[in-house]
Amino acid sequence: QEVTLKLHQFLPAQANVPKLVLDVWADNVEKDSGGRIKVERYPSMQLGGKPPELIDQAIDGVADVVWTVVGYTPGRFPSTEVFELPFMMTNARAVSHAYWEMFEKHMKDTEFKDVHILGTWVHGPGMIHTKDPVEKPEDMQGMKIRGGSRSVNSLLTKLGATPVGMPVPAVSEGLSKGVIDGTTIPWEVTTALKVPELVENHTEFEGRALYTLTFVLAMNKAKYDSLPDDLKAAVDKNSGLEFSVFAGGTQADADGPARKVAEDLGNNIITIDSAGVDEWRAIAQPIYDEWVADMNGKGIDGQALIDEAQMLIEKYTPQYSN
Amino acid sequence: MTALEIGIASFPALMVLIFLRVPIGLAMFLVGLVGLVLVTDGTQVAFARLKNETYTTFSSYSLSIVPMFLLMGHFATLGGMSNALFKAAEGWLGHRKGGVAMAAIGACAGFGAICGSSLATAATMGRVALPELRQYGYAGGFSTATLAAGGTLGILIPPSVVLVIYAILTEQNIAKLFLAAFIPGILAAVGYLIAISIYVRLYPESAGTRPRVPYAERFSALVQVWPVLLVFGLVVGGIYLGWFTPTEGAAVGAFGTGVIAWLNGGLTRASLTESFLVTARSTAMIFFIVLGAAFYNGFLALTQVPQELSNYVVSQGYSPWTVLALILVFYLIFGCLMDSLSMILLTIPIFFPVISAMDFDLVSLAAMQADAAMEVLKAGVPDGMSAETLAGIQDAIASGAELTRDQMKDLGIRVTQGMANRIEAEHVAIWFGILVLIVVEVGLITPPVGMNLFIINAMDRTTRMVDTYKAVMFFVATDLIRVVILVAFPAITLFLLG
Amino acid sequence: MHKLMMGLAKVMAILGGIVLSMLILLTCVSILGRLLNGLFHSEFMTGIAPEFSHWMINAGVGPVNGDFELVEAGVAFAIFCFLPFCQITAGHASVDILTNSLPQGVNRFLRMITETVFAAVLILIAWKLGDGMISKRSYGETTLLLEFPIWWAYALSFLASAAAAVVGCYMAGVRIIEFFTGRVLVWEGMESGH
Ligand code: NA
Ligand code: NA
Repeated sequence: QEVTLKLHQFLPAQANVPKLVLDVWADNVEKDSGGRIKVERYPSMQLGGKPPELIDQAIDGVADVVWTVVGYTPGRFPSTEVFELPFMMTNARAVSHAYWEMFEKHMKDTEFKDVHILGTWVHGPGMIHTKDPVEKPEDMQGMKIRGGSRSVNSLLTKLGATPVGMPVPAVSEGLSKGVIDGTTIPWEVTTALKVPELVENHTEFEGRALYTLTFVLAMNKAKYDSLPDDLKAAVDKNSGLEFSVFAGGTQADADGPARKVAEDLGNNIITIDSAGVDEWRAIAQPIYDEWVADMNGKGIDGQALIDEAQMLIEKYTPQYSN
Repeated sequence: MTALEIGIASFPALMVLIFLRVPIGLAMFLVGLVGLVLVTDGTQVAFARLKNETYTTFSSYSLSIVPMFLLMGHFATLGGMSNALFKAAEGWLGHRKGGVAMAAIGACAGFGAICGSSLATAATMGRVALPELRQYGYAGGFSTATLAAGGTLGILIPPSVVLVIYAILTEQNIAKLFLAAFIPGILAAVGYLIAISIYVRLYPESAGTRPRVPYAERFSALVQVWPVLLVFGLVVGGIYLGWFTPTEGAAVGAFGTGVIAWLNGGLTRASLTESFLVTARSTAMIFFIVLGAAFYNGFLALTQVPQELSNYVVSQGYSPWTVLALILVFYLIFGCLMDSLSMILLTIPIFFPVISAMDFDLVSLAAMQADAAMEVLKAGVPDGMSAETLAGIQDAIASGAELTRDQMKDLGIRVTQGMANRIEAEHVAIWFGILVLIVVEVGLITPPVGMNLFIINAMDRTTRMVDTYKAVMFFVATDLIRVVILVAFPAITLFLLG
Repeated sequence: MHKLMMGLAKVMAILGGIVLSMLILLTCVSILGRLLNGLFHSEFMTGIAPEFSHWMINAGVGPVNGDFELVEAGVAFAIFCFLPFCQITAGHASVDILTNSLPQGVNRFLRMITETVFAAVLILIAWKLGDGMISKRSYGETTLLLEFPIWWAYALSFLASAAAAVVGCYMAGVRIIEFFTGRVLVWEGMESGH
């Protein structure tokens, strides 16, 4: 082959996203390049550094392609947070579609100008997994919960819970030793972390999800520019809107089997119906205002982003709902 | 040269630098840097990594446990804990033949229970016990060898800095590793006591005795060690019971020993400054090695050497036990030449995946289910369970077969393949970790390069290194016997984990 | 000169030690807050003293927000602060089994080369850390919970790493003089310093 792309990310090779999304992407790029591109896969941060460094590694060319959680570097890509606000996301395909559109329009040449973005997506509905059942907001009082993002932590505080900052791989140990009483993650991650064996209660929300996280697949700019046109085309063919929707959708589809595992174990799955969700939304509402104020401080029209995101999500949700 | 060749060439390059007395951390950093420049055709990648990697390596929450445990060890000395331990042990054992040396081992074990580092334990107990040993007519080499060996207990008996680093590298539970190290640590102390009694029988002129101490005095000396018990119980117990994380445990321990030192009048401005300086020196030494190893390991991954090596070993079709034996022998040989922490950092990322990929058959799902089922049935047959179901379950248990999902549901238990796999993987990782820990600790006292030997020997100018080397072989022998026992019976190590 | 450099190294080490002690205290306070918060939420306390428990919780009795982040930023600074003292007391672990049998002059030569390379590496580390700081600053990256700019933490570590580079250069100078004059100015090994 002519070109080797080093693909670096933080999960083990057999986890869902590396196996079902990144490997598929890499195989397709290799195939469409006629074998002239080889994608070397480095899971589990094998090339060194810690997960928050991934985006810099793509920018500086330490790795050629990285997959990363945007929230690992808080404050750096503020516009993406619009999709992470509580009760914003509906389903992962629709929101990933909206994310790509808004990325192209607002973020490509600003926040992400130093890197070539191949895909933007979100995970399936974020939810709560706890030792004691959570049916009402009051049930969260005094619980120590691992939160995944800025707005989730803020929501947890408003609910009277104590947000505990810890990386995803630390969740199993934290739960088994009682350092935390629960965690916020989507279903898909629960199997790898053995969460259904460590807690017995899972709280889902009908309609819009409690939260989600944003991801990007990013490529070093110089590396991309250095590719001959036909190889660029092979990369382009597997990137962009279609890939983003595929990635978000595939990750969300992995929720189902994971939910089944918890069901089979006889765990207690609580679904908050739309009437119940209103109560939670009322508590979450101030987070929207705080976020808009925060964005205004950064010279970004936060309200406009919220309005546009909501409009796009409304528009695409029916299209992707089954 | 291909990347793979550069990766392979980096091993001899590293060895040459280390034997030219280049500091180990610097040698790893340099080879990693130069290797990265060669593999990536330029300084761009290497320099870009340096922008963040020094900071993120040092700003590790889990590694912050290292300076905290080191500081805790110094505070414990300032608080008179090391002295109290030695006095108590000496009171009970000192009048026997070789008794003062045994007391020193006992005190080392006690101090090891609150100190995370072998070097610190050896240095501290050396300062306390070496003058006493010499005063009671113990031969120089025998005295220094005893303390050097006793020092290794600092790391075998939890808490232990090397074990923390192993846990972080392999993503294992630190509390469980600490628990698993406990029995092997006690066995080590017992082995050293046996080594001493054999040595004094073979060379009776090498040890004196001290007068018998009245019982009243012995008990009062024993009472003096309560702060040690308190701190150890709080730190290790608190970590295990989930009151706090290991890092928080180290903070609690440092705070506790600090307060005790202050109450005992040991914590003055001068001694606090001294503690900071000593902690600074060891911490910087350790973290520079951690940084060098991180940089070197990142380079090595890029050359694909660890993957190729792992593939090679697995494809040879050796039995897991052969592979384990080879790895342990490797550590023993290199332990004679290298520092233990550097070895762990350099090799665990390479060896651990190899060991994890092998099946040692330590746990099976059927056995776990059978245990849980018997627990339920002991309390009586659950209401509404048919005789037929009961018979089916009993058949399965008797024949060692897995229970079906329905049988499990009827019993009301949750033991899944996932649980069995997790426990199996965890037990292998813990058992391997303890074995590695022991062999690298043996490395601290094997001639010619043994950090503990150097430290203690430097404290006694009248003793020749050769005499220390000779006497320490008795301790090394008990270490080797212990390794064989622990390899043959994994259950000894895993016993406290249940 | 040696006094000045030793003074700098000691001040940095003590500064690092003070920061480390503060992190220890912070962690202990946070654990206490967490345990008390759990206690006041417990059925026992809400049963016997509901008002008091409620009041304590509202008064903010709980873990220190962002303790994790402060420990991470603080410990990085402390370790960079520890480097100069390790450097000036030749505290880095090395293997002298082979070099012990070599002539003094060869040893002095090796030591000169090693220390010079070490100084260069410390300069490189400080320089690149400075680059990292500038890039973190330009991106406006913050921490997750306390949301303080991450470049503040980089800046502190950068200053300490610059001190380490200065002391590293001084030690390189010492070893060069030692090589050309044959006099030992700074002893090495475990017995030095203490
Ligand atoms: Na210990
Ligand atoms: Na050795």
